[in-house]
Amino acid sequence: MSSLADGNTMMNEQRREFIKKTALGVFAGLGAASGLVPAFSLEKTALPVWDEKPVPGKIRWGMLIDTRKCKEGCQQCVAACHHEHNVPAFKNRREEIRWSWKNSYKNVFPTADNAAASKEIQNRTFLSLCNHCADSPCTQICPTGATFKRWDGIVEIDYHRCVGCRFCMPACPYGSLSFNWQDPRTAIVDPVTVYPTRQQGVVEKCNFCSDRLIKGLQPACVEVCPEQALVFGDLNDPASDIRVLLESNVTMQRKPELGTKPSVFYII
Amino acid sequence: MEVMMKSRKLLWLVIFAAISLFAAFYLFRNGEAETPQKPLARVSVVDSTKCIAPKEFMRANHMQVLQGWERSVVRDGDRVHIASNGSRFQKSLGTCLGCHNNRLFCYNCHSYANVKPKCWNCHLSPMETP
Repeated sequence: MSSLADGNTMMNEQRREFIKKTALGVFAGLGAASGLVPAFSLEKTALPVWDEKPVPGKIRWGMLIDTRKCKEGCQQCVAACHHEHNVPAFKNRREEIRWSWKNSYKNVFPTADNAAASKEIQNRTFLSLCNHCADSPCTQICPTGATFKRWDGIVEIDYHRCVGCRFCMPACPYGSLSFNWQDPRTAIVDPVTVYPTRQQGVVEKCNFCSDRLIKGLQPACVEVCPEQALVFGDLNDPASDIRVLLESNVTMQRKPELGTKPSVFYII
Repeated sequence: MEVMMKSRKLLWLVIFAAISLFAAFYLFRNGEAETPQKPLARVSVVDSTKCIAPKEFMRANHMQVLQGWERSVVRDGDRVHIASNGSRFQKSLGTCLGCHNNRLFCYNCHSYANVKPKCWNCHLSPMETP
């Protein structure tokens, strides 16, 4: 008897949902027909700049952060990054999701000898993000191959494969990964339709804007920086801007002694 | 009394619909005006006006096709699908839904067959679009 009742409620719920969604669809259809709403507003088919299958290892994307230009209190890069990728804004520190964030010298370069660092440097904030290491511990530890090294040097998480074991989180020496303890869709402030969200139970992190690179755009943080403090480019191309700057400046990587070979460089 | 209540409800519904339609109108018009479409690098590469395979094949095998696309795009960066007749498509859910733009296109069949694909856990479902 109870199972029958359950079945009935389930059917009713299903029917109710169907009617609700149909009404929504009809309403939207009307909007589209009257020309008020564009007929199609999903993730748009983006034409890739590289239409051929890429050659593995040909490109190695990297970033150079000139922290001398970085303005105190400016959070535009972080805001743009999180907005572009539907990163949820959980207030609780334990559930916080972050792709990029600003942190102090002491926390970003904990193993650098900061005894002699000037007061100004100690008080400066440094943009931290996934370092897309050439020798990345997170990809080596991932049991399902969800975190993997792409053909262009980007360390990417394949959310289709992530089972949420979170091995990668302690493996990363930079704390670049966040776990979705809850459904992230509930906490996205201003969702964009051109990039998917994540689901509960997967780990996420910065993807070096691989979604923008295929459209021939620079990463969101680089584009939005008012001081042009961020330079993005191919580390394998000797003529690229980033290589020229790397050769003409003294730069630092985070925890270089671990041998992870980060692709993110800092000018202090 | 009953009739009055009903007509009042209907009136509110109509007002709500009108307001939301106007809101949508202004939202989208402004959006279009502010962001002019940039010319893309190679416009001729992808042709998404035709189906990638016959209807019968897609009906039975679209899940394998989509899984294959997902795999080759994410893992190998191979983003262009070449159909048997030589036409080229971007491997994207957007390519399918650009033509199959009926909001219930996926839902009707999946609901009937009682399948619950996980695509829409992350990707934007046609049901959720404005």
